[in-house]
Amino acid sequence: MMGGPEAMNSTAPVQSAGHFGTGNRQNIRRRMLDTATAGAAWGAVLLTLGILLTIFVVLVHGSWMGLTQIGWRFFTSQAWNPVPGKDHYGVLAFLYGTGVTTFIALLAGVPLSIGTAVFIVRIAPCWMAGPVSFLVELLAAIPSVAYGLWGCFVMSPWLQNHVEPMIYASLHPIRLIPVGQYPSGQKAYFPSNLVRGGPSGTDFLAGGLILTIMILPIITAITRDVLAQFPAEIEHGAYGLGATWWQTTRLALDYGRVGICGAILLGMGRAIGETMAVIMVIGNTDRISASLFAGGQTMAGVLANEFMEADHPLYLSAMFYVALVLMVSALVTNLAARGLLSRIRGNLTRA
Amino acid sequence: MSTLSENPFVGRRPGRRWASHGAKALCVLATAMALAGLLVVLGYIGVKGMAYLTPAFFTHLPLQTPEGMRNCIIGTAILVGLAGLVGVPVGMLCGIFLAEYAPRRPLAQMVQLTMDVLAGTPTIILGIIAWQLVVVPQQHQSGWSAALALAFIMVPIVARATEEMLRLVPQPHREASLGLGASKAQTLFRVILPAAQAGIATGIMLAVARVAGETAPLLFTALGNDQAVYDPNGPYPSLTLKIWQYSQSAEPDWRHQAWVAVLVLVTLVLLFSAAVRFAVRGRQPRRS
Repeated sequence: MMGGPEAMNSTAPVQSAGHFGTGNRQNIRRRMLDTATAGAAWGAVLLTLGILLTIFVVLVHGSWMGLTQIGWRFFTSQAWNPVPGKDHYGVLAFLYGTGVTTFIALLAGVPLSIGTAVFIVRIAPCWMAGPVSFLVELLAAIPSVAYGLWGCFVMSPWLQNHVEPMIYASLHPIRLIPVGQYPSGQKAYFPSNLVRGGPSGTDFLAGGLILTIMILPIITAITRDVLAQFPAEIEHGAYGLGATWWQTTRLALDYGRVGICGAILLGMGRAIGETMAVIMVIGNTDRISASLFAGGQTMAGVLANEFMEADHPLYLSAMFYVALVLMVSALVTNLAARGLLSRIRGNLTRA
Repeated sequence: MSTLSENPFVGRRPGRRWASHGAKALCVLATAMALAGLLVVLGYIGVKGMAYLTPAFFTHLPLQTPEGMRNCIIGTAILVGLAGLVGVPVGMLCGIFLAEYAPRRPLAQMVQLTMDVLAGTPTIILGIIAWQLVVVPQQHQSGWSAALALAFIMVPIVARATEEMLRLVPQPHREASLGLGASKAQTLFRVILPAAQAGIATGIMLAVARVAGETAPLLFTALGNDQAVYDPNGPYPSLTLKIWQYSQSAEPDWRHQAWVAVLVLVTLVLLFSAAVRFAVRGRQPRRS
């Protein structure tokens, strides 16, 4: 009775050692493997934390000269002149470009994505939902340089020759609200000012539209998963009270509004950081114009175009400053998305 | 007592049936537009690319006659491979840590936050970081710096996939293994990872497909190379960079080459991501 447990402990493991091995030497190896694995996992995690820290250290260090010499004026000036001696740097034009293209992308992309997600979850028959879902997700797999090439050789000419003339003809004569003056002294009116300059094909509209296609899959995928969580009880109850399909769908959209907002923010983060596709269609000029047909530039775009040309310290530092502003914009958007999605992530299949 | 007029759905809402039909039609239209977008983009890439596709594309170098991009295809493949050598193990270990080791919740949350932030970082910024860390000290562009930038992108994707898949392995599997006397590492390598391997492989493949199409992080790091030189210490050829470079030129031949290159790139990337999904269908625990 006294020796019972002792005997069990000393003999039983040896007899059943077989597969996992608990012999003395094996024991040491086991422990070493355990330690090594845990150590490797810890190492990888610390490395990743280190990478994030490095990103911020490099960006702040690189932009330090700009932060001290340009400071807040960076955000109040739209002039961008890198000629040494007379150089002047303002991020406003690029901030505006990023903002406008992202806004256009959301304006067009959000209804399309939500409509597609509703179709997949609440309209499509079973045999159709899977393939449609798969095809929309394929959009996310196409590289951005492919979108860019298509955008600059197919979409831009099409916009310039067919779409923009139509928009121009319909909006140009409409002068509803006076919105100040152009530098030439001419008065500006909304919405006529949106199409000033006439069709160009390489403009804010093109940048926004190419981003629309690119953010579609991400918003659709998450909205689809959010809608799929809508409890069948509520759905049946609503139908039982005589609700129409749309009234029930609105309940589902309302039920998942937090997740859908998170999805939209994730799409917005993608649009803010997108580089190649945008610079291939946006015209690359550092101007602020209310016109959708004016060329512009985004923060990511100016980095891609000018980073390698930054040949003196303040110029390079200003580039890092732009990168820092871009990083912070993307960070804030992504953290907000994460905050919204983490509430429901436990149930979400992907986020 | 409730009457029909108090019903929030029915009372005093004329035209709600028409509104419902209209909304349904709009949703169908939205889907049709999204799919049309896919069709138009892929269609143009297919038609334009096929029109100029020649065998020389795969056998010759840029600037030779006839022109080709053999070195760029190989260069992209090697860059992705080099990035994977670092990105895959680090990403997997992070995923393993999050799913199996995360000892204290605050730390796990911090790591998850780091992953989300990394995943959301614009890739051009990762290119700048790699430029600062490798190109500046070396004073020249190199394959190493490009591979580093791509590895940064892979880590969060692989980590997320690994974590998700490991969490899908039922808890009793772990308990049974530990109960048989296996150590934590033995449980991990012989029970948990094999159970989740198909899903993790999918995640890795998707990460590979994703970085193979990246251009922005290579602009300042790989720089591009027209020779069949694959020394990671120097400027490196890359398919995506070549597409970007040729798309900017006024030379029609080069633009045609860019279309062919995009066709090849998109075909490879889509085949990769589609094949993976079909290959592991039913072999991984269902996600939803």
